[in-house]
Amino acid sequence: MKSIKTIRFRLLLILTFFIVSFLSSSAFAQNAKISGRVINERTSAPAAGATISVKNKNRSTTSDANGRFTIEASAGDELVITMVGYVKKEVVVDKSNTIEVKLVENVIQLDDVVVIGYGKIKRKDLTGSISSINGEELRKTVPTTFDQALQGKVAGLMVQQVSGQPGGGVSVQIRGVSSISGSNSPLYVLDGVIIPSPGDPGSGSNPLNTINPTEIESIDVLKDASATAIYGSQATNGVIVITTKRGKSGAPSITYDGYYGFQELPKKLPTVNLQELATVLNERAKIWQFDARPEFVNPKYLGMGTDWQAELFRRAPMQNHSITVSGGDARTQYLFSTTYFNQEGIALGSDFKRYSVRLNLDNKTTNWLKIGTSIQLAYVDENVNATTSSVISNSLSLTPDIPVKNPDGTWGGITNTAGWITSVPNPVGLATLNTQTRDRYQVFGNVYADVQFTKDLSLRNEVSGNFDFHKEASFRPTYNFGRVVNNINSASSSMAQSLYTVARNFLTYNHSFSKYNLNVLAGHESQLSSFENTSARRTNFPSNSVQSVSSGDANTASNSATKGSGPALESYFGRVNVGFQDRYLLTGNVRADGSSNFAPGRRWVTTYSGALAWKINNEKFFKDIKFVNELKLRVGYGVTNNQGIPGNSFVTLLNSVTNGLSGNAQFQSNLANPFVSWEKTKYSNAGIDVSLLNWRINFSFDVYDRQTDGLLLKLPLPFYSGTTTSWSPGALQAPYVNVGAVSNKGFDFRINSTNIRNKNFTWKTDLTVSHNINKVVSLGAGGDAANLSQTYNGYVFAKTVPGRSMGEFYGYVFDGVFATPEDFITHALPVNQSGVAYPISPSGGGIWYGDRKYKDLNGDGVIDTKDQTFLGSPLPKVQLGFGNSFSYKNFDLNVFFSSSFGNKVFNRLVITQTNPQSNANYFRSVMDFARVSYVDPSGSTSNIYNAFVSNPNTKIVGLRNDNTNENNRPSDLYIENASFVRCKNITLGYRIPESFLSRFHLHALRFYATVSNAFIITNYSGMDPEIGSWNPLQAGWDGGYYPQPRTFTFGLNLNLTK
Amino acid sequence: MKYINKITLVVLIATCCMACKKSFLDRPSQSQISSDNFYKSTAELRLATANLYGGAPWGIWHHEAYLPFGDILSGNAYFPWYGDWVQLYTRTITAGNAVMQGGWKGLYNLVGQCNTVINSIEKNASKEISLSDKNAALGEAKFIRGMAYYYLAMLWGPVPIIEDNSKLIQNPLVKRNILTDVYKFITNDISFAAKNLPAIVEKGRVTTWSAQGMLAKVYLTMAGLGQTSGSRNQQYLDSAIKYAGNVCNRSGLNLLNNYANLFKAQYNDNPESLFALQWATGPSIAWEEGNLLLTYSPSNDINPQRNGAWTPLSPTYDLYLNYSAKDSVRRKASFMMNGDYYPELNAAGGGFTATGQSMKKHIIGNEKDNNTPNMTFTASIEHDALLRLADIYLVYAEAILGNNSTTTNSEALKFFNKVRERAGIDPVASINMDSILKERRIEFAFEGQYWLDLVRLSYWNPVKAVSVINNQQRVTFAFNNGIATPGTANTAIVPATISSFTMQLPAAELAADPLLAEPPVPYY
Repeated sequence: MKSIKTIRFRLLLILTFFIVSFLSSSAFAQNAKISGRVINERTSAPAAGATISVKNKNRSTTSDANGRFTIEASAGDELVITMVGYVKKEVVVDKSNTIEVKLVENVIQLDDVVVIGYGKIKRKDLTGSISSINGEELRKTVPTTFDQALQGKVAGLMVQQVSGQPGGGVSVQIRGVSSISGSNSPLYVLDGVIIPSPGDPGSGSNPLNTINPTEIESIDVLKDASATAIYGSQATNGVIVITTKRGKSGAPSITYDGYYGFQELPKKLPTVNLQELATVLNERAKIWQFDARPEFVNPKYLGMGTDWQAELFRRAPMQNHSITVSGGDARTQYLFSTTYFNQEGIALGSDFKRYSVRLNLDNKTTNWLKIGTSIQLAYVDENVNATTSSVISNSLSLTPDIPVKNPDGTWGGITNTAGWITSVPNPVGLATLNTQTRDRYQVFGNVYADVQFTKDLSLRNEVSGNFDFHKEASFRPTYNFGRVVNNINSASSSMAQSLYTVARNFLTYNHSFSKYNLNVLAGHESQLSSFENTSARRTNFPSNSVQSVSSGDANTASNSATKGSGPALESYFGRVNVGFQDRYLLTGNVRADGSSNFAPGRRWVTTYSGALAWKINNEKFFKDIKFVNELKLRVGYGVTNNQGIPGNSFVTLLNSVTNGLSGNAQFQSNLANPFVSWEKTKYSNAGIDVSLLNWRINFSFDVYDRQTDGLLLKLPLPFYSGTTTSWSPGALQAPYVNVGAVSNKGFDFRINSTNIRNKNFTWKTDLTVSHNINKVVSLGAGGDAANLSQTYNGYVFAKTVPGRSMGEFYGYVFDGVFATPEDFITHALPVNQSGVAYPISPSGGGIWYGDRKYKDLNGDGVIDTKDQTFLGSPLPKVQLGFGNSFSYKNFDLNVFFSSSFGNKVFNRLVITQTNPQSNANYFRSVMDFARVSYVDPSGSTSNIYNAFVSNPNTKIVGLRNDNTNENNRPSDLYIENASFVRCKNITLGYRIPESFLSRFHLHALRFYATVSNAFIITNYSGMDPEIGSWNPLQAGWDGGYYPQPRTFTFGLNLNLTK
Repeated sequence: MKYINKITLVVLIATCCMACKKSFLDRPSQSQISSDNFYKSTAELRLATANLYGGAPWGIWHHEAYLPFGDILSGNAYFPWYGDWVQLYTRTITAGNAVMQGGWKGLYNLVGQCNTVINSIEKNASKEISLSDKNAALGEAKFIRGMAYYYLAMLWGPVPIIEDNSKLIQNPLVKRNILTDVYKFITNDISFAAKNLPAIVEKGRVTTWSAQGMLAKVYLTMAGLGQTSGSRNQQYLDSAIKYAGNVCNRSGLNLLNNYANLFKAQYNDNPESLFALQWATGPSIAWEEGNLLLTYSPSNDINPQRNGAWTPLSPTYDLYLNYSAKDSVRRKASFMMNGDYYPELNAAGGGFTATGQSMKKHIIGNEKDNNTPNMTFTASIEHDALLRLADIYLVYAEAILGNNSTTTNSEALKFFNKVRERAGIDPVASINMDSILKERRIEFAFEGQYWLDLVRLSYWNPVKAVSVINNQQRVTFAFNNGIATPGTANTAIVPATISSFTMQLPAAELAADPLLAEPPVPYY
């Protein structure tokens, strides 16, 4: 017994020793102490936090708040001084023991490294099109998820919020929409962990919302084929590489970043108040001869009623606290950070909380081995009830005569029993009573080992994974909202896990010959994913307060469990970079991918690309041109492939279903297409990078042409195919098909300039411009008649056809209302499908005053389906980002605008909310309904010459109880210009002077205040013209989105040191 | 150190190369069987065809279109608070009408399922399975596909014939096919079923008698096709007589004694039922995957989970007038009137007394009445029949009547009167077209039949068909103290013309395939 204890104790001692030495293995040398000071060359201010290391010796230190440092070195040693934002400086130690180092600010960070696939490269040696943004820049907008903050910051990137719900989805597209299958998202890579592409997760959630923006060091956006090809088949839509902060050798740094803010609804929609509602309904009852409501007899004496938007939306707080500890020595660097984020949604029933911990560790174990890891644990707790209970659309369609709560404390609701009145539930009641929570536990982990065989040759082995555990629970209690009654309560609960692992090994060879630089990469990668979920549901709970599934009635139990193998991918890849005399650069990539998503025989594909760059400024003839600091031309071409479809779509699968005949039967679940294969994109890019006037003006301009062939699409076929792309019981899931071709051409442009730079004041401007033209070249079989239409209410509102951009709106052109007798004589009349005109009559089945006229576009004298046309594209022509930052002494101010031009939005709410026949709520514009008057008030009401419309310029139909004219057919009335300029953020910060802080042993402290989404300039009548979508065929459909809040935040960044 | 490097290098390169076995990229589904590995035994064929008898493949048609077309459009029933149904009633059907779109979509979903089963059996069925078993399974699927096309043809006239859905992947846009070819396709399918289905089989599955009965009905319909002169094609009438006669005289099947029992779950799949939908129940049955007819119930008190009584259909005054005082058995089993007492509905609560007029057929009571605790209102356990023996009896009589104005043929009278006698009303001594139409309307009220009967009539006697619906008293009625009072019409009904008997195409479908607007083309 005793001996075992002793052994254990000894083992523990040894282990402790290893850990201690691991963390503190700095060298002990005996040299002279050199002391010095690092200052900013321009302002002479002390440069705190600069890293000073002795070249070729494992020794380094950091400058303190006053820029001072001491380090052991002997005369003749070279000191290397580096600091973020400054040009690296090397100083030879002379005989004196003190040194003053002046660091020059690095305007364009030419020595900055850019992450390319499986490696890094200096920006000046880049041949592809890659944009980078640092974490500082990203956090200026106080984003909940990092993808929100990319809007307008990166040229060529289109970012649109899909839901303003806290942590809600964001759609991101790089240089246009090239795929219809749903995934136009770029590939996200977080510290080497590939995050499966975020398609529509449902309920407005964002799969990327476990990533904490405060931990991000930089984001690199890989745009063209020469940059992305190395990532192969998942990267055809571009790659967004996220690098988190890592520890640096030097003194430990402890920082705290925190903010507190509140959010509010930026704009309310103009719904009618109670008096206005009563006025419209009274007028309508006179004509309908029914539905007169005694309580509305005298609108004057009614109050304003309930403002449902005011009841549902609230001023909601949000806060974020994060602590980061980092540091290390020459051998080991660490960064540990922990964050708490809590955001209440502006709509009742929506909240978002995130807790995350990160540990990044690097260790140079021996002179030939380096190991390290990045691990992130995140827990996200979301309340998505607001979205799943549709409380926003309910708040718009519930009438103001309904109280939130009745005087007796019960919930208000519609009590009018007339069957034509739409049963809208009380949105505040739903938001309060229902529960729908979603918990995610996520681990992103990456472990690597670098083996240095020779000075030039190294091997990196990496294993990384993304493990996601997901829990969702809902409870619908019984409730009574007037006649809207739920008398069965129900609960459901589900658990799911998805696992993704990747193993990769690659060799890198790097050598500088006298005139050449050579960099060669070769590797292998295998990726595997799988998922599993179980769910259970019961109804009939004895009480609304016991909500666990097991308390429900066992007779009502239903459950399901699925287990799936996600796709497997195997790849071989290689890259060669050659530089010649620092003037000509050449890159070549090749990658072979095998994917399980295709039938055997169609699984393997090769992706390749090449690029050339010419650094003109390094040519001899350019030597004398001093005002040009950099001039580089780049051209690249490549072929990339996409495999973005679910597995096993090439075979017909059978589902077990309950059946009254045999108890169990096999249902054919999909229409298989064994021939489905890779989608191919031919990608050309040409660009120029210029820096002028001592790097004060820098710009990049890229033009590109992406031609995608064999588009992967879950093909929406006519109903007669018996298939569906969404929900349709009994239908086969539509086949995945390679269909047609699409082209995206455009340019992106970025310029930044330092307009003013002097001792106390600097002013910098940054502008990005992205322009893309999307065009469907063909849709495969079907020729010119082929189209992919999207319907609402049984009508086609958007149609994708060859020759136009994706998802264009489609319908009739509004031409006023029938207002005078001449209108019926001269204007084309609608006909039925047999071509017979409907009668002109105020009774049912006729066309009458106040019905909408539509333009007879084909001039055949009648209005039928042939009079429809294209009404605009939901895709912006130009997106801009425009930022200005000013600093004056210790103050800094940042103002950033993002904008979008040339796109249309389908404002779906207008259809019902401005239709006086609707029996839900209205927008105020309905008050202008077409008023039918009579020349002779006592004369015939059905004589067209006796009637006319007294407000002929209205767009709102009359109050007749008939819709033969199909007044709600798709038309330009619902398609609005959605161009906008948004003031995305205004931030004012103040840095407390270091001289003052040093008294409190603090290193840096900055206070700031930010207004995000401060204001928006637009003609769009809905809440927000920015309507993101996961489905490119149905882009820009505004059905009552969760709006983006306006946010006011106050925060501080504190750096403690030593 | 160099030595270590070399070893590491060799080991790592070796692992790289071996990293992936060839099978690494094989990732078959773990939750579903692939069609390629199925159809290996007769039992597996039966699991595949069982799916075609109910559930999701029938869900949309049955819930969205079956009764609205059959009984609202034809003037048997009315429900005022659902705009798309009102359009059927007032004949102001727009191209976006949800019933029309649901009917079209639902039937083609069913066709798609049948096609996939037929094509998979032909491609993948194991050689071990006997030819007769294989053909019997094909017969079941073809019978049901024939039914689906029969509804499509009767409602929309010329429609595209889809036999292999996977061909649409390459060539998605098709034209409609001429109506005679659609009927030819239907008779091919159902003849195959009649030849290959067994005479006796497990309860609920179709037999050769189901197929022969349906074939008689299709031939009777085809006899009128294009015969606007007022007389029908005798050759087709003879075929109808032959097949209906087989079912009437040689099947050994008989009518169920009690008419009302036909519509109770306890009598599911009774011998009179030639083809009934095989619905399942329970909480796992999702929306439109079960029998949703309980949503037509007049009261939550008699529904499972006390829920779902959303759209009670009111009988029209016109329908009411067809019933003689003695015809009370069928009347009470078809629709309730104010004061009617139904002890079997909510029996534990003392039965149900109607307070108004509403459909009774398919309203089978709550979970306790049916002794099925897990029954839900979205999944009624009634196996409602789409083809029953009484239908074939009346088809037989009508086919024998043929082009005569009246008949006293003993065979025709025998079976016609069997239907009447079961209902407890007096037999007749002669039959004409009016008496057949009326008998069918009463016998099959709320079974989705009357509109199809009118379409069949419109093929060869359009004037009569138009006048029948234009002369209807298309209003609801009050019933107090034994007196029915018609209500006032507060909606205008658009007068019918011959074109009223052909539905227009759903707007979305026409937009998806503009070729549908072109004249129909031959299929054969």
